[in-house]
Amino acid sequence: MTRRIIAMFAALLLIAAGLGLYAFHLRNRVALEEQRLAQQAQVVPPASGPTTLVTLYVASDSEGSLRRTQENVALPQERSERARAILRALLSKYSQRSSGHPVGAGADVRDVFLLGSDTAVVDTNAGFADSHPSGVLVEELTIASIVNTLNANDPQITRVKILVDGKERDTLAGHADLRRFYRSSGIGQVMKETP
Amino acid sequence: MWLRYPPVLAQSPERSQLSVYSPHAFYSVPLINANGQSYIGLVELLEPLGSVNAESDGKKYKLRFVAPGARELELQFHNGKDKGKVKGDNLKLPANFVIQDGRGYVPLASISEVLARALSTQIRFNPAARRLFIGDIGQRFTLELRPGAPSKLFISFDSPVNPTIATEPGHIRFTFRREPVLPAIDHTAYTDSQITGANFSEHDGVAELDVTGNVALMANYADGGKTIVVTAAPAPPPPPVAQQAPPPSPPTPQEKAPSQPQAPAGPRFLVLIDPAHGGSEIGAAISPTLPEKDVVLALAHRVQHELANRGISAGLLRNSDTSISLDQRAISANAARPALYVALHATSSGRGVHVFTSLVDQESYTSRDFLPWNQAQAAFLESSSAVAGSVAAELETRKLPNSIVAAPLRPMNNIAAPAIAVEIAPPGDDIADISGSAYQDQVAQSIAAGIAAVRGKIPEVRP
Repeated sequence: MTRRIIAMFAALLLIAAGLGLYAFHLRNRVALEEQRLAQQAQVVPPASGPTTLVTLYVASDSEGSLRRTQENVALPQERSERARAILRALLSKYSQRSSGHPVGAGADVRDVFLLGSDTAVVDTNAGFADSHPSGVLVEELTIASIVNTLNANDPQITRVKILVDGKERDTLAGHADLRRFYRSSGIGQVMKETP
Repeated sequence: MWLRYPPVLAQSPERSQLSVYSPHAFYSVPLINANGQSYIGLVELLEPLGSVNAESDGKKYKLRFVAPGARELELQFHNGKDKGKVKGDNLKLPANFVIQDGRGYVPLASISEVLARALSTQIRFNPAARRLFIGDIGQRFTLELRPGAPSKLFISFDSPVNPTIATEPGHIRFTFRREPVLPAIDHTAYTDSQITGANFSEHDGVAELDVTGNVALMANYADGGKTIVVTAAPAPPPPPVAQQAPPPSPPTPQEKAPSQPQAPAGPRFLVLIDPAHGGSEIGAAISPTLPEKDVVLALAHRVQHELANRGISAGLLRNSDTSISLDQRAISANAARPALYVALHATSSGRGVHVFTSLVDQESYTSRDFLPWNQAQAAFLESSSAVAGSVAAELETRKLPNSIVAAPLRPMNNIAAPAIAVEIAPPGDDIADISGSAYQDQVAQSIAAGIAAVRGKIPEVRP
């Protein structure tokens, strides 16, 4: 009798431990799913506050060129925050379904650091590089659009370096060199501009 | 007073240096001359291996050293005396200990014994070559000659290598400075009409493998950089004849190529085709089953075939599914001394064909005598642009959508020869068409015809 009670008690304990482990597993899965959904959320520039007309150089894969457009974007006061908001507006263009230059879900700019008066270091998230289409032209177009957009809205920015998750990477998606600084004066040679 | 000395690793090139290889680091240590022989600083020797604290009052010298995860040990010496102590045990040096500017120096001839006692590990020291191996370290290699047309010498290592490669008529030399390459042979002779031998030597802190031949030699990397394949550089084919060569049959048309004549001693026009990516590095996923590395290798064979039809010799930098780093590609390409370098890429984005020339920062480029690695292409941009324009014109003739773009693309920036890159995108809505014969043939013909049209404007190169 006593042995049977002990066996039942042990079985109940095992079941309880199993359920606990399963609950722990479910909690982790939910957390990961939430994280994934947060990363995939469309990048939307801040919608509140007064807006400013900014210039965006939007890439087109089929034309292999950049198109200059203007858009109203709510901008913060601080210079590097403004640069980040403008780049997020650019990426939001690329995340639209009709984009002629899709850069992958969840692409975002984590931060923009300004070094001296002329250099911007753009820290993108992993989603930006990991899901970026691979190819020489498509990668160079992305970089050119970032550099030209920054320079158009803050002409003092003439050199741009791109990081991924705070770290230097060899290439964006296998081709475009991310180890170098890109000069806005050189981008003119890289990309033609369509009216 | 205990002095903490800063590491002294970067030295002026005119001074003799000892190359030191350990499982944790490669570094060079300067040597000084004293008492008519070479001496080495103990701090400079031990600093990269652990924590060093040295004390000197001008007469006595005491050094404490702690390797990671090991116990502290002590070395004691006296200026002008040949007796010292290592870990409490007496040690007799072959010449007197020297203190200069507070730094302690032991005779170079004694470092094997000093280190073996201090570190309790295996030491291999070649004083004539100034190479020191600490611990169980060393990279051996094997040589395998496969006679044929062309003959191939496979030099296989345990892990990837990245030697400096230099060529001159009848020789291709691999210089290993950072790699702990150990002697496997002194001299090997081959009874082969193309590759005649290999000589290994150690000198001036480096290991050198000199492969000799009766023809101009070139090298390719294989097996992820663990194997170097030496072959005869392609010779100019005979003048084109009316009969067309048979179409290529990828993936191994080059392997089945007919016997090649010996390379001439005079200038030659060699196009080196570099199919991008390879091995584990697949490049763009054109589709789930079609990686960029396969598309460009097939295209490379077609371009090679079309060039041969126009009387232009072409070699492939990668002729199999092999991973090669960007720097290795540039080193191999520069060693082959091509008249033109053509990199091939493919993408699923966009349409048509994009022709790239290099975008190098020319602001600091001043001389043709010395080419900084990242600006090696600067001196050749004019010729490169001429080729790109000619290829684009041929694409236009065939009604293929095209564009010319300048981009800072590696390894093109590191190529010391006229260079272009060609990226093909699908011709229309169906991505699978990118690997279709009709489309690839048109692109290959455009590239070959474009090169042939400007051949006279590109200088030939003496191998």
